[in-house]
Amino acid sequence: MVDQMSALFTLGNMQFLLRGAGMTLLLTVIGCTAGLIGGFLLAYARGSKGTLAAPLRWGATAFVEVFRRIPFLVTLFLVLYTAQMIVPRAPLFWVAVVSICLLCSAYMAEIVRSGMESVPAPQIEAAEVMNFSRWRITWMIVLPQAWKVILPSAVSYMVMFVKDTALASQAGVFELMFAGKALANRGLDPFLVFATVLFAYFAISWPLARFGRWLEARLARRTHEGDRR
Amino acid sequence: MNYSLQFGQIAADVPYILWGAWPTLWITFVTFFAAAALGLFIAMARLKGGPLASRLAGIWVTLTTNSPLFVVLFFLFNGLPNWGILLSPIVATLIAFIAISSGYLAEIQRGGIQSVRQAELDAAETLGMSRLQMLRFVIAPHVIKTTYPALSNFFIFTMLGTSMASLVGVNELTGRAIEVSSRTFRSIEVFSLVAVTYVVLSLFASVALALVGRWLFRVKARMI
Repeated sequence: MVDQMSALFTLGNMQFLLRGAGMTLLLTVIGCTAGLIGGFLLAYARGSKGTLAAPLRWGATAFVEVFRRIPFLVTLFLVLYTAQMIVPRAPLFWVAVVSICLLCSAYMAEIVRSGMESVPAPQIEAAEVMNFSRWRITWMIVLPQAWKVILPSAVSYMVMFVKDTALASQAGVFELMFAGKALANRGLDPFLVFATVLFAYFAISWPLARFGRWLEARLARRTHEGDRR
Repeated sequence: MNYSLQFGQIAADVPYILWGAWPTLWITFVTFFAAAALGLFIAMARLKGGPLASRLAGIWVTLTTNSPLFVVLFFLFNGLPNWGILLSPIVATLIAFIAISSGYLAEIQRGGIQSVRQAELDAAETLGMSRLQMLRFVIAPHVIKTTYPALSNFFIFTMLGTSMASLVGVNELTGRAIEVSSRTFRSIEVFSLVAVTYVVLSLFASVALALVGRWLFRVKARMI
């Protein structure tokens, strides 16, 4: 036990795991940033009106419904094999990024949509009467109020998502879980290795979850103060 | 680009893959209901238990909601054998899924229980209701109404999550897809078939859950 521990907790191994943790964070940040942008575009497309925009509306709805209903693992494998078909030797990192963006934008689209729906309809009707374009209504009236609803949900989705990125290791992408598997394959005690990896995920996820709760409480308080004024 | 989709080559394996939906479904049901029961227990311990019980329940929720299921599964399946505990794939899967889900479900149910206002309980007491009647006519309807959407979302979420069980060798939908694709090399065909199956299954589940909610608990849930 003790010599297994001293074999695992060397400087090199810890740096290896830390690099993996860095990649996990990078994947999460890429996914959530791209997801927020993609989710906003999808929500905007879903809220479009008129017969001309109908295919756009249906397309966005179908995208969101489909990618929210496929397990991330299956999306990952599908993207992996499709990428290999189109580009021989497709870099695995980009395979993971593409599948993460697909998943995140589908989930974020729902978060953004429910945030935009939280803005009272009379405000939007008033803006329509004043002949605001839809883009200006969204940009100047809806988003400045909706972000307070969107942001806490987006952060709590991010907390969920950090943990999902562990699956990217299954496609051979180097991140925290992949680093753990590599160490276990090198003959180190898998019990200790995966316990360390679990602890590392906890150390990333827990502060993020606390931050999300703090943000939610703070934004809720600020909104109520605004009501009173 | 010299790859053409050939669904004909997996035609013989299609029934085999589709029957993988059965293990997926039963693992989902077992996980969800066991974790919901455990979650209710934890939520009650957190709200009504003594200082030690509520503290322990809080720690359990923090630990489970911040650990990745996939890593826990790997830990149980690959880490424990070194210490002499050998779990079969399905046992490891059920333990990992129930443990992690119980934390999330405890939080959902805690929110539901907390949303019952003291005034309502006082009113029920004034009407001379027994504790059982209070549970049946005041607390349960309220808790179900407030938690039902979150619970049905979590059910779908669990169903999609069960695909991870394939990675420790459980032969469910994704597991069978991996097996057939490594035998026939028709990966895209197999995985798109499985993706469609998941979409259909979860759409069915959404509609069924919305109908159950409407008829049994009078919850106005969205169909999709």
